[in-house]
Amino acid sequence: MTAGVDYLRAYETPRFAQLAPNLTAACFSLMKLMPARFMVDRAEASGRLEREGHIIETTSGTFGLAIALLAAVRGYGLTLVTASSLVDLKLKRRLEHLGAKVVAIDDPQGDGNQRGRLQYLQKTLQDNPDTYWPRQYDSPENRLAYARLADLVVRSLGRVDCLVGCVGTGGSLCGTGGFLREIFPDLRIIAVDTHRSMLFGQPVGRRMLRGLGNSVLPDNVRHEMIDDIHWVGALPAYAMAHGLFRDQGLFMGPTSGAAALVAAWFARKNPEASTLVIMPDEGHRHSDTAYNPEWLANLKDWPISIPGEPTSLERIRPAGETAWTRFPWNRQTLGSVLAEFDGSLREDR
Amino acid sequence: MTQRGTPRSGYQTNWSNTNNENIALPLKVGVGRAHAHHGEFLQGVFEGDDGRLYRGLVTLPLTSQESLATFWPDERDGIRTRPANRTKAARAAALTLEHIGIAGGGGELTIESPILIGHGYGSSTADVIASIRAVAAAAGVTLRQSTVARLAVTAEGASDAIAYSDQALLFAHREGRAIEHFGGEFPPLLVVGFRDGSGRPIDTLRMRRARYDSEEIGVFRVLRGLAYRSIKQQDPRLLGRVATMSALISQRHLPKASFSAVLDIARDHDACGVQVAHSGTLIGILLDAVAPGAAKRAAELAKKVGGVGFKGIHTFAVNAEARIIQ
Repeated sequence: MTAGVDYLRAYETPRFAQLAPNLTAACFSLMKLMPARFMVDRAEASGRLEREGHIIETTSGTFGLAIALLAAVRGYGLTLVTASSLVDLKLKRRLEHLGAKVVAIDDPQGDGNQRGRLQYLQKTLQDNPDTYWPRQYDSPENRLAYARLADLVVRSLGRVDCLVGCVGTGGSLCGTGGFLREIFPDLRIIAVDTHRSMLFGQPVGRRMLRGLGNSVLPDNVRHEMIDDIHWVGALPAYAMAHGLFRDQGLFMGPTSGAAALVAAWFARKNPEASTLVIMPDEGHRHSDTAYNPEWLANLKDWPISIPGEPTSLERIRPAGETAWTRFPWNRQTLGSVLAEFDGSLREDR
Repeated sequence: MTQRGTPRSGYQTNWSNTNNENIALPLKVGVGRAHAHHGEFLQGVFEGDDGRLYRGLVTLPLTSQESLATFWPDERDGIRTRPANRTKAARAAALTLEHIGIAGGGGELTIESPILIGHGYGSSTADVIASIRAVAAAAGVTLRQSTVARLAVTAEGASDAIAYSDQALLFAHREGRAIEHFGGEFPPLLVVGFRDGSGRPIDTLRMRRARYDSEEIGVFRVLRGLAYRSIKQQDPRLLGRVATMSALISQRHLPKASFSAVLDIARDHDACGVQVAHSGTLIGILLDAVAPGAAKRAAELAKKVGGVGFKGIHTFAVNAEARIIQ
């Protein structure tokens, strides 16, 4: 058991890669282990999770994998609730190898049916009140866990002027950014999202780039911390991920490509600023898609070259999967930005 | 520094010298010294290697003030102190005799110290550590720093990192051991130290322990990382930032009325930061000792601070060669 705990602690620790003189990447194998371990540790300490207890969470991605590793090592039962449209067969197989029960809720609309998943989860909690639900979307522990990343960052880099990262639950960017900004109040925080994610005021729609963005709004997204928001389409994210592999030997997932695209642009424009980019996972899960030439060849508009700079938006609106757009968010709340653009956003819907 | 600690259940034998080599008696007269400190660069709650949380601190050494202990061994049982009733120092001396394998030894312990009591200079720990060193010297034994620290905590319930002299480390002051060795010396600093306006001594034993929330514990983790970085890079600015942040958190638990005024003064003089004694009245403004004109700036700061009415102003260096203008 102890060996497992130590190993998973090492597994959650990123390696730092210098992409440019003023740009460093925190490269994770499985970033979600950091919040998952923190939350399970806290649940154990507070008695919310008892020995041989059961865990339930709604997830379609790597948080599920992280919590499944922990559950397996520490002897907990685990139920993961996903949607039929989001099931990744290979991931499902890995989860089941780890002893997790994967429940796929019907999803006729193809939007992830988060509501149906939560209904199932609530029902299970009612029937089994001892079950522990980590709540990665809304639990502040998801953000607090990233004090460990901020610690590792200052140990490696000292002062940081700009932090760039993807937003899905908001945990990694708002957690790490919050702790770093406590120490460096002038820290600039740049969020990376994708078109048709609702997190920063776009109308919800089909998203091709998975692993960032959201069609619901988690509490852990703290809009008032964000200086700039970028929306990166799937194709530039893929192209940049390929570039990272080819030029730097970093085999990372497409969301890491999206974050690196934005960070590299910022670092070029601000050579004096020490910039850090968070890269959440590796490319292995994407070997049949983003790293598969045949799959890529069937994409409309592929191949594209890595774009040099984003299109600045004056009002928030969705764009195609080849596009990269940005908007100066200026640490506003979502409400105040939406109020400003109320009329125009409606037109786009 | 003396804070209320869980009383230890006596001296733990697993630390003792199990070789039990007989020390040749009679003992000689032994002298030990230990310096004061000026509060802390950092104090909070930190994760140990075992994943548990420990209260810990990074002490700011003040080497110019020392407690001097002399141990005069004699044939009588027990330790007598001069001044009388220095019970913690007496306990420390007895524990040290036991540790080095001298059963039933006794003697007289004289303590001479100019260190002010009750402001966070660590007067009590300095006495205790000087006493431990005096007894060890009497027996002709050199103790490891970690042993001195553990004996000190056993004697007084909680200690500070003075056993480690001016080494930079994060010290669990209730357990008496290092949480993390930062692996070097502090970056070069000049400290303009003084006492908070009210200037009343604080009875640290009566102080409530600070209860930190999850957010603060997260910040402590990052400050610990930044302290490591500042020592590794010998960067006084980063250590100043650590101290200021730690002091700001301390303000929520043991507020010093004049703190924000001090922050303003520090900012106006381009200081690295401000540190405090987390269980005392001391405040120190930290300057980069190798910056051009540092000594002159320290003198200006001291004047400014005096003009505002602070007492006990005293400038000292940490790991720096600067000539100090008092």
